Amino acid sequence: MMQTPPPTEPNQPLESAPAAPAPGAPKRSLSETVWTKLDRKATAIAEFTMRQYRKKRSTWAVGIIGILLVSLVLLFYIEAMAQDMPSIDQDGDSEDKDGDGYPAGQEALYGTSDENPWDHPPDSVVPDPPSKWIDEDDIDWDGSNTRSQGEDDDGDCWALEPWERDSNGDGIPCNVLYVWDNGTLVDIKRDNGVDEDPDDAVFLKEAVHRSFLLGFGKFGYLFVIGIFIPLFLATGLIRDEHEAGTLHYLVGKPIARAEVLMYRLLGFIGLVWPYLFVLIFGTALVTGFFGPGEAIYRFSDLGIWFGVFIAACLTVLAYAAIFAAFGIITPKYGVLLALLFASWEFVMIFLSMFETTRNLGIASLSVSFWGAEIINSTAWLVWDDHALLAQQAEAFGWIGEAALFSVWLSPFPTVYPLVNLAVSIVVLLVLTALFVLIGQSSFKKREID
Amino acid sequence: MMPDIGQVGEGQKMQPWAPVPEAPAVMLDHVSKWYGQVIGLNDVSLAISGGVTGVLGMNGAGKSTLLKIIVGRLRPSQGQIRLFGTDPFKNPAPYHRLGYVSESEKLYDWMTGLDFVTTLARLYGMTRDEARARALHVLDFVGLSDVVHKEIGKYSKGMRQRVKIAHALVNDPDLIILDEPLAGCDPLARTTIMNVVRELGAMGKTVLVTSHILSEIERITEQIVILHNGRLLALGNLHAIRELLDHVPHRILLRTSDPRELGRAFLPHPDVYGVRFPNPDELIIETNNLASVHKDLPRIIVDCGVSVTAIENPDDNLESLLGYLMEGRA
Repeated sequence: MMQTPPPTEPNQPLESAPAAPAPGAPKRSLSETVWTKLDRKATAIAEFTMRQYRKKRSTWAVGIIGILLVSLVLLFYIEAMAQDMPSIDQDGDSEDKDGDGYPAGQEALYGTSDENPWDHPPDSVVPDPPSKWIDEDDIDWDGSNTRSQGEDDDGDCWALEPWERDSNGDGIPCNVLYVWDNGTLVDIKRDNGVDEDPDDAVFLKEAVHRSFLLGFGKFGYLFVIGIFIPLFLATGLIRDEHEAGTLHYLVGKPIARAEVLMYRLLGFIGLVWPYLFVLIFGTALVTGFFGPGEAIYRFSDLGIWFGVFIAACLTVLAYAAIFAAFGIITPKYGVLLALLFASWEFVMIFLSMFETTRNLGIASLSVSFWGAEIINSTAWLVWDDHALLAQQAEAFGWIGEAALFSVWLSPFPTVYPLVNLAVSIVVLLVLTALFVLIGQSSFKKREID
Repeated sequence: MMPDIGQVGEGQKMQPWAPVPEAPAVMLDHVSKWYGQVIGLNDVSLAISGGVTGVLGMNGAGKSTLLKIIVGRLRPSQGQIRLFGTDPFKNPAPYHRLGYVSESEKLYDWMTGLDFVTTLARLYGMTRDEARARALHVLDFVGLSDVVHKEIGKYSKGMRQRVKIAHALVNDPDLIILDEPLAGCDPLARTTIMNVVRELGAMGKTVLVTSHILSEIERITEQIVILHNGRLLALGNLHAIRELLDHVPHRILLRTSDPRELGRAFLPHPDVYGVRFPNPDELIIETNNLASVHKDLPRIIVDCGVSVTAIENPDDNLESLLGYLMEGRA
């Protein structure tokens, strides 16, 4: 029954091979510790995972769609910044009700009446153009001291009756009262007629710019990009290998399955974090150059973008852990479960974007909420002129407030932004760890048939 | 050949893993596996150490289930499995000494052969350079050194099998488990793989090979385990089993130009009890002693002077062996 000699012989015996590291070898140099071996396995799996992503069409599709979306939104932003904002006469003193040619503000300065056409400043006084009485009582909104914060530039406060000049009740007429709390400016109370007609174009641009940074950071990066990338790329971290029948190549090795999941996640963030960095850095460049202000580049916003980057990275990691766990727990319905979870997050991010709904607390049961709080806290730390903007927004009425304060929320859960920042980061990390553990324990029990 | 299962001792407590030199490579203690209502493996006890062991069984006999339990892909529903004294489902440490080739044909088609083996070698904790050197070596060992830089997607079936074997050898394992390594291979690849397996056995490694084709296993090893319907039907030396088989009614099929003339020549042989002519060019000889008839076969044909184009043993396959063993049991 035995056959003729075979045509090909194994080329050389295996013994002469370079020795594989023997398990439990007694002599070990320092470079051969358990940790370096772990390192090697971790980088091997992470690297492999990243290469696998590169070979998948869905990765490229998701990446390109993300770049297109961001570019599109940035085009809108550039367009908005290039537009001239309308100037509004908040105190109405540019009007000339009696038709004598002198605007109300100028008449008030000379103590004449704008109701009576025969009562006006002396004829030697040239009537001001109405535009001079628009935006004439500005606010030093950017801390540059180029504008007169707290002064009655147009004199309409001093034109009031003496008992009307101290509406903020600090005993000083026609001024503003700064309210500090622990070194933080929390409120500015102004007397009537002081700083009441700020520069609309500047404020509106600034408000739109800041709303854009916060709104795009929260909704664009945390929600849209932050959830869709893990949805498409992380749900299958283990599940896809299982379904493709190649999982045994990874788990039939001297690595605990729990580690395999962790290193796969490492590979995921090794791809996605740099991608987020590129996207967010690009956005920071565009908004820095096209944003409002005298300077060529708004370096002051970099802190915000750093916050957005940290928030996006941690959010994406948490989502990835959650979706990968879903994929492991129920390979068949993992995507469905992930989609349901995404809808939940969708509702929660809306709740967390408005102060009243956010303070209900229910949104804190979502990942995006804590990501958004990282951005909020960063905004409080980086932009210390919240009170000034609030003061201006008040001058603008609801439009000004809506533009900015729908996205710039007060610190939560504490009043200290730094504490909130730390709490939010810790919550996201704990969520991530929790779902990694859930995924791991399910994976450990999983049979690979 | 088969070590006594009793030497391991029952109910070993889980310990932090350390290689247990005296523990057999594979030890199954009353292992059963159900898939819902279907039984995959039924009360199998087995210990294997050293040499090549063929696991024979028809499709669905439980061969793959057995191997999957051994490598820790599946957990037994009942009983215990130990790889070098450790439960592989709970502790991946014995994988350091294991190489496993699954029956699945799925591979990472986008990787080159070298890439594939190197990447997986790194999961044993080797450095990049070590892994690459080892990968090149084992790819050479299985005869793939010409195509190491080719994508696996472009490999032939035989090459795919061999790259799987190469990956299983990269950690220089003491125990190598091959699930249907010859399936779908062309004769050349088949022979190469068989030689690789024999070579591994000669190196003193423990090798488990499954197949449903008796002659394949016969060319590799004498030590076999036969599974049938999830049960361990027989284990031991194939020749001993075969000798038993030789003394049961057996047929020899000869394709010849003149079956009747040749049949007449065989009838006087003491061990031939009948001849039949199923087709005009075929003769079937019925015997109770296969070996004795085979010994005299060439002489009778030459003396008779008719030409013979083929000699086959239609009963020399797994089905007949199983049939005999089953009857023997009954």
